[in-house]
Amino acid sequence: MENRSCFAFELANTSSELSTLCEELERIGQALKLSRRSIFEINLAMDEIFTNIISYGYTDQAEHTVRVCVSADADHLTIVVEDDGVPFNPVERLTPKVPDNVESCKIGGLGIHLVKNLVDDIGYRRCDGKNILTLTKTVETT
Amino acid sequence: MEIIEEKKGTVNTFTLQGRLDSNTSQVFEKRLFDAISDGTRNVVIDFKDLDYISSAGLRVILKATKALKREEGRILLCSMQDYVKEVFEIAGFDSFLPIVPTLDDAIQSFK
Repeated sequence: MENRSCFAFELANTSSELSTLCEELERIGQALKLSRRSIFEINLAMDEIFTNIISYGYTDQAEHTVRVCVSADADHLTIVVEDDGVPFNPVERLTPKVPDNVESCKIGGLGIHLVKNLVDDIGYRRCDGKNILTLTKTVETT
Repeated sequence: MEIIEEKKGTVNTFTLQGRLDSNTSQVFEKRLFDAISDGTRNVVIDFKDLDYISSAGLRVILKATKALKREEGRILLCSMQDYVKEVFEIAGFDSFLPIVPTLDDAIQSFK
C-alpha cells in the first residue's frame, strides 16, 4: 500500500511503562501530524488495554513483553497489540449499561467501554499462545 | 501529577495538573478521602490544567461522589478541556455529575 507508515515498540508488563506508552504514542502522533484530540483518544484506548493486560493478564511474576505496532493510512490508524498473557477477548465483554444515576454506576468494565467507544473497530484472535488485538480508528490530522 | 488543595469557606477545591491515570489515581484518591474524613462535604475539582484522564481517574471521582452523597455532601467538576469532558460523556458520568464551565460557577453554586 502506498504511503503506509509503520511504527513498532515494546513495553514490559509494569505500570511504569504507561509513561513509555504515552511518550511513544506522542512521538508517533507528531510524526503523523495527528490532532491533539486524536492523540488523546488513542492514548486513552491504549492505556486501558495495556492496564488491563498488566493487571489481569499474567499469573506469574516473570517479566513479559507487550508488542505494539501502529500503521497509518490516509485517514486511519491500525494498531495491533500482542501479549502472551492468559486468553482474554475484550470484544466478547458486554458493554455496561450507561448509567443515569450515581447508584447504578458500576466501576467494572469501564475501561473496555471507553475503548469500544474510542475506536471504530476492534478485533481479537488468539494465536500461538498470544492475544492479538487489532484496533482501527479514523484520525484527524492538523 | 500535581494536586493543589485549597479551602475557601466551606468549599475544598482540588486543582489537578497533568495526567490522572492508574499511576497517579491512588495519590488523588488518598487526598480526596483524607479531606472527606476530616469533614469536607463540599468539593470542587478544577480540571483546568488536567491534560488526561483514564478510567482509573473516573473511578476515584465515582467513589468520592458516592462517599459524599452518603454524607450529604456535594461534588462539582469545572473547567474541563473538551476531550476530557468527552470521556465523562462516554462513561455516562455527565448524567449524574455536575460539570460547570468555570471555577467561579462552581464556587457560586455552593452559596
